[in-house]
Amino acid sequence: MAKLPLAGIRVADFSWVWAGPYCTLQLAYLGAEVIRLESSTRPCVTRMLPPWPDGKPGSLNRSGYFNQYNQGKKSLSLNFNRPEAKEVAWRLIKSSDIVVNNFAASVMDNLGFGYDAIRAAKPDIIMISLLGYGDTGPYREYLALGPTQVPNSGLSALTGYDGWPPMHAGFSYPDPNAGIHGAFAVMAALHYRAKTGEGQFIDMSQWECTMDLLAEGILDYTMNGREPRRIGNRDPQMSPHGIFKCLDLPEKIANVTIDQWVAIACADDDEWRRFAHAIGRHQLADDARFATLASRKRNEDALEAIITEWTSQRRVTDVVDALQAAGVAAGACADNKYLHDDPNLAAGKYWVELEHPEVGVKRHCGIPWRMSATPCEVKTPAPLLGQHTDELMTGLLGYTAAEVEDLRKKGALD
Amino acid sequence: MVGALSDLKIVELGEMISAPYCAKLFADLGADVIKIEEPRVGDRSRTRGPFPDDEAHPEKSGLFLYLNTNKRGVTLDVASLQGFGIFEKLIADADVLVHNLAPPEMDRIGLNFDRLQRINPALIMTSIAPYGLSGPYRNYRSEDLTLWCAGGVCVLNGGGPEHPELPPLKTFGHQAGYQGGVHAATATIAAVLARTAGEAGQHVEVSIQESIASQLEMTFEYWPYAKMIASRHGQKPVHPVGMMRCKDGYIYLCCIFEHHWRSFVEIMGNPDWADEEIFADGPRRAQNWDALKVFLEPWVSQQSVIDLYRKAQERRVPFAPVSTMADLLNSEHLQAREFFVEIAQPVAGTHKYPGAPVKFSQTPWKIRIPAPTLGQHNAEIFGGSLGMSSARIKELTHKGVI
Repeated sequence: MAKLPLAGIRVADFSWVWAGPYCTLQLAYLGAEVIRLESSTRPCVTRMLPPWPDGKPGSLNRSGYFNQYNQGKKSLSLNFNRPEAKEVAWRLIKSSDIVVNNFAASVMDNLGFGYDAIRAAKPDIIMISLLGYGDTGPYREYLALGPTQVPNSGLSALTGYDGWPPMHAGFSYPDPNAGIHGAFAVMAALHYRAKTGEGQFIDMSQWECTMDLLAEGILDYTMNGREPRRIGNRDPQMSPHGIFKCLDLPEKIANVTIDQWVAIACADDDEWRRFAHAIGRHQLADDARFATLASRKRNEDALEAIITEWTSQRRVTDVVDALQAAGVAAGACADNKYLHDDPNLAAGKYWVELEHPEVGVKRHCGIPWRMSATPCEVKTPAPLLGQHTDELMTGLLGYTAAEVEDLRKKGALD
Repeated sequence: MVGALSDLKIVELGEMISAPYCAKLFADLGADVIKIEEPRVGDRSRTRGPFPDDEAHPEKSGLFLYLNTNKRGVTLDVASLQGFGIFEKLIADADVLVHNLAPPEMDRIGLNFDRLQRINPALIMTSIAPYGLSGPYRNYRSEDLTLWCAGGVCVLNGGGPEHPELPPLKTFGHQAGYQGGVHAATATIAAVLARTAGEAGQHVEVSIQESIASQLEMTFEYWPYAKMIASRHGQKPVHPVGMMRCKDGYIYLCCIFEHHWRSFVEIMGNPDWADEEIFADGPRRAQNWDALKVFLEPWVSQQSVIDLYRKAQERRVPFAPVSTMADLLNSEHLQAREFFVEIAQPVAGTHKYPGAPVKFSQTPWKIRIPAPTLGQHNAEIFGGSLGMSSARIKELTHKGVI
């Protein structure tokens, strides 16, 4: 049977919250042994965040947030206030290929796990720091959280309704974006190490990595000296191009009415005419107000009102079915329940539903790719805090049972 | 020093964002990428701009120029029989083919892994598809907007509790394409590592919808764990967190923890109102946000963004500016890190572009050549590498094959 791409690769995972764990999640998906260094005195923030089954935290092992982004990893629980705990971490580092962290700048240095020290102990190590501002420069020590790097990157200045203030992205987009770019970078470094035997340090700034997604806005400034105008859901080269109201869900959920929306985009005049016929307004297909992109852009308010009149009386699934049947780009603006019930996601091998000792079987998002020769699969749910401490201590790290007992008494194993 | 991926040869059959961004990530680390474009028309991103002085021109589109650095470009009609034959020669010694032809288009031209594997058994073929290569949505028409929505993130952004009538709001640009591209790059480099370790070449299939759904923070799990729908209409659990107008722009206030708020109060000069019981902790400040805003907005509106940002950061409070493009280009920090790179391209001229997503200590990220003009390397690749005579190239050009 084929080995997974990262079979035999071990990751000392000092990361927490989202960016670093998203990076190491990819490595776990691909077959690496990812060992999270955790602590019960300072647990990963996501272990303490909702959602929880029944709405109650209950323990540090029941968060859907943590359980989503730590599938397939192991947990080693150490208390770094004890010098013995650092010795355990050093043993792990020396037997690892990759070290990942996304602490604030200098935290790893202050713990004694800066790159120079790590390289001295393990010369071919690959280390990545996913920092808010990067490992050099005057703002190196500045603090960043996922939500702050959305506005800081320029994304907010570019995102918003026409004539309104800047808007957020609605989620901490720079975090997973940094994590996935970090996973790619780590594997590029592994490729180089396979050729040369050399490791290296990878300095990631989440701020910069987000700007790499905004070239159109940045280049409008560097080419034309202009701050791009916010245009909501519209597009300069497609019309209609927007998100339109559909019928609310027929039933309330948790006493809340759930609104439903559909995204529609017509890339050219043909697609527009197909759209007009699909909604049964055949005369619109020949209406001079909407015949060309330029005329549709001129009359876009009127056009959107016509579309809303049609969509708002229909269920989103009916709208999508009708438009896709006519070859028009349309899709539900899916919420989490919609995704959960989405037939396309269900037809693939995307969902992961494994028995977890404290939350049972819950559906989690899985691997967004399929590989024909080395099929990846999530084999274990996210670890309980410290679940693998004993197994790793007496196995990989070479401590005797008596030594483990002693370290536990001293409070080094947290 | 050479790039980490300088030994890899990649063929890209890509349009717009996802496959071109995937291949750019490889190219900027040294891989030799040959980009195939449709004769005469070229990649659709050539029409997207921004253009210098707003003059639309296929060689001056900022989006194309950014996404296709370090690639050599050829034109080839792979949908034609002769064109596909030449395509097969190009991939015969390639390590990777990356493409984002939609599944119906793959069917139409007969692009599939079995066929290519017979020509090059070691080939890694990466297919980036909007909704995957199978499943009920396989043949859906899509644009970036519909995919961003299909992955479940778009619904989270918008007018918030004060404006439930406003539609969910798209994040700027082509984010679905970028996420498809970088997730594909991750899976692809893994397949390269597997092959180096002795495994076979293979077909890597990436779904853009799934790539986006993988980034929902805790919001997806609200349904399986708590039977709740995550919504942009909800109130924030703590405050102040969000944008507010200063005298010269906007700042992002971020008081997640209580010490952030206490430091902010200190920066404001410890006003009496901050001692009010209704502002005593994060949840209460969220409940009474309307009242709190009345006190905060007048003070914040008198500050300059950079001053408030620095004062907050000096106290370890993670405020951030709502950066304009000018702020980014003028940032002392980004200049010190040499983030933006100047790229000269013969037709479009010299401009600054966003640079490296990460900095490697041993293997540089580097712009060696600018994005190719349409068919720029036809003679070099068809004539040189494939050994076609100039008469043959001329004939195929005349027929519209190249």
